[in-house]
Amino acid sequence: MPRRGESAARRALQMASMTAGVTGSYLGYLVQRAFLSEKGREEKLRSTHAKAGRRIVTDLQELRGPAMKLGQLFSVQSGILPDEALAELGSLQREAPGMHPSLVRAQFRGAMGAPPERVFRSFDETPFAAASLGQVHRAVTRDGETVAVKIQYPGITDAVKNDFSWFRAVATASQIKRYFPESLIAELEQHIMAETDYVAEARNIDFFGPSLAPLGFVDVPRVRHDLSRGTVLTLSMVRGDSIEVFLASRPSQRTRDLVGERLLELFYFQVLGLGAFHADPHWGNYLFRSDGTVGLVDFGCVRHLSPAFVDNLRSVFLYPGPRDSAPFRALLSKRYALAGQRLAPKTQSALVRMATEFYGTVYPPDVERDQERVDFGDASIVRLYARESQNLLRAKATLPEYVFLGRTESGLYNTLHRLQARVRTSAIVRRCLRVGGATAESGVRRA
Amino acid sequence: MPVRRAKTGSTRKTSARAAKRPAARRGGKRAEQKEAVRKRIVDAALALFQTRGFDQTTTRQIAQKAKLAEGTIFNYFETKEDIALYFLQLEVDHAIATVRGTPRLRRAPLEEKLFALVEAQLEFLAPHEKFIGAAFVHALRPTSKIAFSMQALDLRNRYIAFVHELIQESESVPPGSLLTWAAPSAFWIYYLGVLLYWLNDVSSGKQHTLALLDRSLKLGVAMLRKGSL
Repeated sequence: MPRRGESAARRALQMASMTAGVTGSYLGYLVQRAFLSEKGREEKLRSTHAKAGRRIVTDLQELRGPAMKLGQLFSVQSGILPDEALAELGSLQREAPGMHPSLVRAQFRGAMGAPPERVFRSFDETPFAAASLGQVHRAVTRDGETVAVKIQYPGITDAVKNDFSWFRAVATASQIKRYFPESLIAELEQHIMAETDYVAEARNIDFFGPSLAPLGFVDVPRVRHDLSRGTVLTLSMVRGDSIEVFLASRPSQRTRDLVGERLLELFYFQVLGLGAFHADPHWGNYLFRSDGTVGLVDFGCVRHLSPAFVDNLRSVFLYPGPRDSAPFRALLSKRYALAGQRLAPKTQSALVRMATEFYGTVYPPDVERDQERVDFGDASIVRLYARESQNLLRAKATLPEYVFLGRTESGLYNTLHRLQARVRTSAIVRRCLRVGGATAESGVRRA
Repeated sequence: MPVRRAKTGSTRKTSARAAKRPAARRGGKRAEQKEAVRKRIVDAALALFQTRGFDQTTTRQIAQKAKLAEGTIFNYFETKEDIALYFLQLEVDHAIATVRGTPRLRRAPLEEKLFALVEAQLEFLAPHEKFIGAAFVHALRPTSKIAFSMQALDLRNRYIAFVHELIQESESVPPGSLLTWAAPSAFWIYYLGVLLYWLNDVSSGKQHTLALLDRSLKLGVAMLRKGSL
């Protein structure tokens, strides 16, 4: 016999959900911030989001609404904006609305089944950092370990999904689609969604911890699986200073060179050795120490490359012969064929130009020049990279892998520039080419 | 299925008076005993409402579960609806006590105080979600005591008065505006809307309700501060 009360209840609730069941848009959260009262804004400025908050207010005035999202996509893809602005916009993309302690407590309880004060020995209600679409709190576990607890803003996954449905609708009906093919949009969506998935992030950390250990100079956090669930991720604390604090301590040129070389090695070790890399070059994700070791945090955005793609990269890095040659062009065509695309002559020329003008200069292939240091204090290197990246976009060199590789590489050069580091680029790449992943195609290793 | 309703004329006055306030405020051992019996009845009723459904539960079943004579139930509550109302009074008492009992909230912005109030209500209701859904539909009937009785009115007024108090003590809200005056009553309606949304929220940890609460309260309080829509 049907339960009349219950079915009536369900109908009434479903009707209500038709009007109230809106998850909203992540974009909406950001726009909402722009309308906060002056006092609210002041409070934000005093918070841990201080710098980003200031930018958000000004950026939103310029790029309010859909244009902002579009601007972000453009900036990621093209390098149209200066790299500093790109890094700032990158952080804006990750900014979630600040959560007050009552919301933090409710969200934590929803995920863990008990409020923070019952799970931890102590829990700091004030966040010490912004995380992927959430915030990070310091806590001490019952067994006495100091940990970082990442708590995600509620409902953010659905909000991001909504934004992409919206963007697809707009992109289809406009010229934008030409610049943002579905594969690129899918790539971006997949990665922004991955940032909201703390379970996947825990898996990434479990992978990168032991994988980066051979380098000996990188520290990544450990996941406390027993204290992580859904929208809550508890990690061991990684010590180190932000780049600003590190530079303010006036490290010697030798230390800056050492750190610079290690950052470059970290990048190429991941790309050419592991075939997977930390793809979020946000300043705050790198922690610096006076002994030259580095802390790497926030593994929400990680990109895995196919072995065939990595092999192709290995074959073009430090390519010994002329780059404007048939064999080199064939390697580039092969890379596009892997993605099922035909490499247009115009795109091929742009890639050859990049390989000659940028990589040929910054990474001289001649082994005798391995001990030469490239001075990243010279801003022209960063400018050259940006110029060639723009040229690639104009030539529609849009492989999905380029989005995050480009973003990470650009972030790396910016950091090296800020460090004013002098780096033996080719020697490091050569070392990384010797690590794993070798196939018959990797002729470079013999060079 | 016929629905049995608990109703006796002889105990009406006593039970109505007794159900008026949840806590034992009259003191003494006798009052304590009465309060303990009342709690037994409510606990038994809530367990049955949750498992059998509100409409399907009879006072006889409640009496059996509470191990009391059915007549004793009527000494405390005139109808099942009175038990439901009593429970809702406990909910409001709990939420007000939570907000007032958290020292940090004293200096918190208005939107957080209001968030904490609603969150405490939902936390209290969470174990009885199924019953709350049924009670909500029940309350839509014009004859429902849950929505249209003196006790229900008293409960609503107490809630509205507390929201009024929270708004008044907030320095950032300009006093005397039409919006400030109307806000507490509007908040009651808002709370019912949130409750309905919460009942239908299938997201993990009811995240969507938290997001809805957070965003709507921020916007609502921003309007209050501005003094206009």
